[in-house]
Amino acid sequence: MTARGCWIVAGVECTKLLAQTTARIALAVCAIGPFVFAVLVNLQDALPEDTLFGRSVKESGFAVSLVILGFAGLWLLPVVASLVSGDVFAAEDRHGTWKTVLTRSRSRAEIFAGKAMVAAGFSCLAVAVLAASSMAAGALVIGRQPLVALTGVPLSPADATSRVLLAWTSVLPPVLAFTALALLCSVATRSSAAGIGLPVTAGLAMQLYAFIDGPEPLRQAFIASGFGAWHGLLAEPPFHGPIVYGGIVSAIYVIMCTLLAYRLLLRRDIGG
Amino acid sequence: MTSDYALEARGICKRYGTHSALTDVDLLAPAGRLHGLLGPNGAGKTTLMRVLLGLCRRDAGTVHLLGQPLDTTDGPLPEGVAGIVEAPALYPFMSGRRNLELLARLDGNSRKSAHVAIDRALERTGLSAHADSAVAAYSAGMRQRLALAGALLRSPRLLFLDEPTNSLDPAGAHDIRSVARALADEGTAVVLSSHDMAEVEALCAAITVIDRGRAVFSGSVAELRALAPAASYELHTSNDDQALAMATRRSGVRAARARAGGLELSADVDSLDAYVIELGCAGIAVRALERKARTLESLFLDLTNRTMAAAS
Repeated sequence: MTARGCWIVAGVECTKLLAQTTARIALAVCAIGPFVFAVLVNLQDALPEDTLFGRSVKESGFAVSLVILGFAGLWLLPVVASLVSGDVFAAEDRHGTWKTVLTRSRSRAEIFAGKAMVAAGFSCLAVAVLAASSMAAGALVIGRQPLVALTGVPLSPADATSRVLLAWTSVLPPVLAFTALALLCSVATRSSAAGIGLPVTAGLAMQLYAFIDGPEPLRQAFIASGFGAWHGLLAEPPFHGPIVYGGIVSAIYVIMCTLLAYRLLLRRDIGG
Repeated sequence: MTSDYALEARGICKRYGTHSALTDVDLLAPAGRLHGLLGPNGAGKTTLMRVLLGLCRRDAGTVHLLGQPLDTTDGPLPEGVAGIVEAPALYPFMSGRRNLELLARLDGNSRKSAHVAIDRALERTGLSAHADSAVAAYSAGMRQRLALAGALLRSPRLLFLDEPTNSLDPAGAHDIRSVARALADEGTAVVLSSHDMAEVEALCAAITVIDRGRAVFSGSVAELRALAPAASYELHTSNDDQALAMATRRSGVRAARARAGGLELSADVDSLDAYVIELGCAGIAVRALERKARTLESLFLDLTNRTMAAAS
């Protein structure tokens, strides 16, 4: 396996991705959705009060971004993470193109690495677009007023900007963990529907588990618990324990799922 | 290790659970020759191709492609080796040219250097006029040509073609055969699998016959022909009983009653001519005389234990 070979495969995958509408639509939704949300919130009288920072959405544009982040953590981020990664291997099965791809000058390791890089890259890009769009929507539609932290202390716009950015950054590890889980499902099931659907279903099940009174260690072993780790960043003083813990859990998922998926692809007999 | 053969595969075994798909198969193909891989459907031809192209792991045996050992399924296919296994598979949402560009990039070629090769491959496979149409709109024949164009991008010195004329009209099949023949003339070893004896006989200098995962014959077409029995015919006369009795008295003609009526004959052309004349002289009218299997077909059926009735 060579780095050049991996980048070649990644380039080819990007070309294929851009030639399909799914990825473009997903990125467009990430870019436009927050603006639609901000405008609708601004127009209506009721506030999403049961959501963290829901009461502040008309008082500070930063709250808009955080409400979207909280909402996205429930199901949108697992969907975004699975959209490309759940399909990237299974698509070759759907089109029957494994035999075409694997009879060129690239090894299976390079093909796996290139595809995984693109899947991870797309997941990060989608989160970045969602973060940038939600912050821009909040600033343009509501304004850059100071944000009241969870502990009641007002945060200056500059401080709020950096903390909101960090909050969005903190969801990258669990997003990458869902990406790796979707890669594994894509390789193992050879089905795009299962590759995308299983991680999303798993994410929802993990969220539902948070509502029942189950053992805490089990809850903390779930990837989805990392989506709420950013709450500590919006306290004063901030605390980072959940982010570190969520990052470790996500890293374990990434390593295990990626290695298992790689092994499955390596040992697979390509049939008709 | 160096090899005199472009392809040298020895003792290939492949099992799926308890089922042996390939058992101790040898396949040797020198450069500049078309080598036919012949066998009925399900004989193991495609599985063998998959193993030789590194798509499937083998349970035993050695494979050398252009002198390079193929040890695992992980490594890239050696430069100069290309293949099309089963139905051609490409990305339907892209144009033919775009598909070829992606394949060229996977081979490590830059867009500029690939451009000329792609145009040449499209021209050679007769697809230039349709290069910018989406593959989804291609016919089966056009997809086959595009897959061949993709293989040509690798400047193959060893090319595997798995039933390449399936689903093609006669003109398309002729074109594909012409390209295969031209490649062999240029020095490429072409391994062509088919269940069509006539196609292999017309194209290939050497043949390996596979049946139920085993190589039951390997050698030149001339060697195969030397083993071949007389051609088979179906005969209907005005008096089959007497015709059968006359056939049994003649040397060079073997006859038996056919299940569906009439007689099944096995004879060379001269013996058959003499027999038909004798029938006429005896006042027995020949109502139908139909060739059931050509010479090599008969041998192929013998080798693969298929009855003439099943084949027809």
